[in-house]
Amino acid sequence: MKNIFTIFKKEFYRVMSDKRLIFTTILLPGLAIFVMYSAMGGAINNSSDDMDSHKIIVYTENMPNEFRLYINQEIPENPEFHDVADSDMDTVVALLKEGDIDLIILFDEDFMTVLEDYESLNYTLPNVDVYFNPGERYSENSIGVFYGYLNSFFHNEATNPDRYGSAYDIATFNTNNNGLPFVVQYENKGIGQGLSMLLPMLIIMFLFSGAMSIGPDSIAGEKERGTIATLLVTPVKRSEIAIGKVMSLSLISLMSAISSFIGIILSLPKLLGGQLPTDVPVYSIYSINDYLMLLSIIFVTVLVIVGLISVISAYAKTIKEASTLILPFYFLSIMIGISTMFSGEGNTDLYVYLIPIYSSVNMIISILSFEVIGIHYLLTIVSSLVYVSIFIYVLNRLFQSETIMFSK
Amino acid sequence: MNTLEVKNITKTFKLSKKQRKLEKTDDKHKIAVNDLSFIAYPGEIFGLLGPNGAGKTTCLRAISTLIKPDEGDVLVGGSSVVNESFDVRGKIGFLTSELKLEDHFTPNYLFAYFGRLHGIEKDVIEERRQSLFSRFGIDKFQEVKVGDLSTGMKQKTSIAISLVHDPEFVIFDEPTNGLDVLTARSVTDYLLDLRNQGKTVILSTHILSVVEKLCDRVGIIINGRMKVCDKLDTVLAENNEEDLEELFFKLIQDEELRGEL
Repeated sequence: MKNIFTIFKKEFYRVMSDKRLIFTTILLPGLAIFVMYSAMGGAINNSSDDMDSHKIIVYTENMPNEFRLYINQEIPENPEFHDVADSDMDTVVALLKEGDIDLIILFDEDFMTVLEDYESLNYTLPNVDVYFNPGERYSENSIGVFYGYLNSFFHNEATNPDRYGSAYDIATFNTNNNGLPFVVQYENKGIGQGLSMLLPMLIIMFLFSGAMSIGPDSIAGEKERGTIATLLVTPVKRSEIAIGKVMSLSLISLMSAISSFIGIILSLPKLLGGQLPTDVPVYSIYSINDYLMLLSIIFVTVLVIVGLISVISAYAKTIKEASTLILPFYFLSIMIGISTMFSGEGNTDLYVYLIPIYSSVNMIISILSFEVIGIHYLLTIVSSLVYVSIFIYVLNRLFQSETIMFSK
Repeated sequence: MNTLEVKNITKTFKLSKKQRKLEKTDDKHKIAVNDLSFIAYPGEIFGLLGPNGAGKTTCLRAISTLIKPDEGDVLVGGSSVVNESFDVRGKIGFLTSELKLEDHFTPNYLFAYFGRLHGIEKDVIEERRQSLFSRFGIDKFQEVKVGDLSTGMKQKTSIAISLVHDPEFVIFDEPTNGLDVLTARSVTDYLLDLRNQGKTVILSTHILSVVEKLCDRVGIIINGRMKVCDKLDTVLAENNEEDLEELFFKLIQDEELRGEL
């Protein structure tokens, strides 16, 4: 036990006494995520602001004056209307193709007169031709806006009592007519769902990359530099070396993961933009219990990841070989993260909670979406600890193998 | 009894394709050490002599428990390297160019670290640190990171660290390699001190003058086998040779004639 602590302390000191390593493994992940995600959130908000402030350019024909007035009233940045008749149709279509204008709206001649002449015997519905360019984002946005306004403006005609006698007669049913609130959800559930989509993959990725940046150096590096042999001729059990290294690497990876986590939390308000209530900080939606559960899951996951990386590093001859061998596992863990991204809830099959890392991802989703099932939590913790023990056993065996430790 | 007894050890390695090409052989195995035996006694320096690739390092690795012999055993003060490797490691001080120190740490830190791993009390570590560091002049650079030290400084630090637990058995592989004359002298003087303290010292080298000056007994390994093993005078007399160099070359020539080299 004393030896485990001595090795743990030395490995920990190795990183903590190196300013560059502290920066790259502990400070940089959080900082990078904060900057990256804030910039991403900023870009999303900017793009939506940009749409709002864009002046829609419309070429039109026979547009009823009432509709034009209505549009100018509804859209703060009044659209710029041009008459198609001032140039020829081909030129206008070319302009739309180029993205120089956003829409072409052609109303039938006497559109309003025809519309109001519904009692005429040979009445036909008046027509509007709308052209837009889905390859241009302003044009694509404009079509949505204009369809909405066309519908809402001319909808009045559909419920005109003069035309149908009574608006009530053309309705077939009511919805929510009793005045009761009809949105039923836990206030925080929506935010929880959002976070459970985003966070599990990120957490696994950060845990992995934290361990990846120091694991190969601590074991394969010691083999490569010939310093592990110095340790192996001391009267220290191989298992003590294995446990000491895994514990220390885990603590550093955990610090790296916490740094990333803080980065995510700090950048969330910017990233989620308008989806969050501005007066409530996002982290306050979870209780202390939720956080403790999350932390315990992250902790056992770190142990599993560090165990895996340590075994690979002990097997590899050089740091480079170790890093290369770890990569497929890294991608696999990211894939696990992505595969659960859109599930919105933890898997309900029991066996899932026996699969390393996959169990953690599902458990993190359950915690974030407030749907923890006790047995799942217990299985995740116990199975992860079993895997760590297996990894430490294998690591111990690798340290004992002369062909592994001294192969050149 | 603090004798070190190497009993009929044999160690065979598998050769990779690349190694077979380098060694120009089709054999998939190489016998690095072949039925090797010798005894080193307390209060003497035993010199292990042999050309490169003769099996010296394999023999020392087996004594230090880094590898296990396929056959035979080594008894270090009565403890078997095969069955009691843990005990053996506590008794030996092992120095070889293969055992390196981590660049990031200072001699001071590493001395205390390995002292703790050997289970030594803090004040004893401090006492030994002062005596060994001043003996080898390490105190002048004890707070400089190993990575910034010269080869000689590193070697001196390695020697001091290998002796942190005051071992009864001292096994040094080429201890004066890469050292200047002055430093080499301080190392060989220290080996004599250790012998006078009653330690069992095994020294592996290919420098014949070191063997002649220091060793009480000598074993010459060629091609994995022990060719001669006795007191230096006796070995020379038995082979009708005047100096060690002549004997050494004669043994190598004999081996070449037999077509084994």
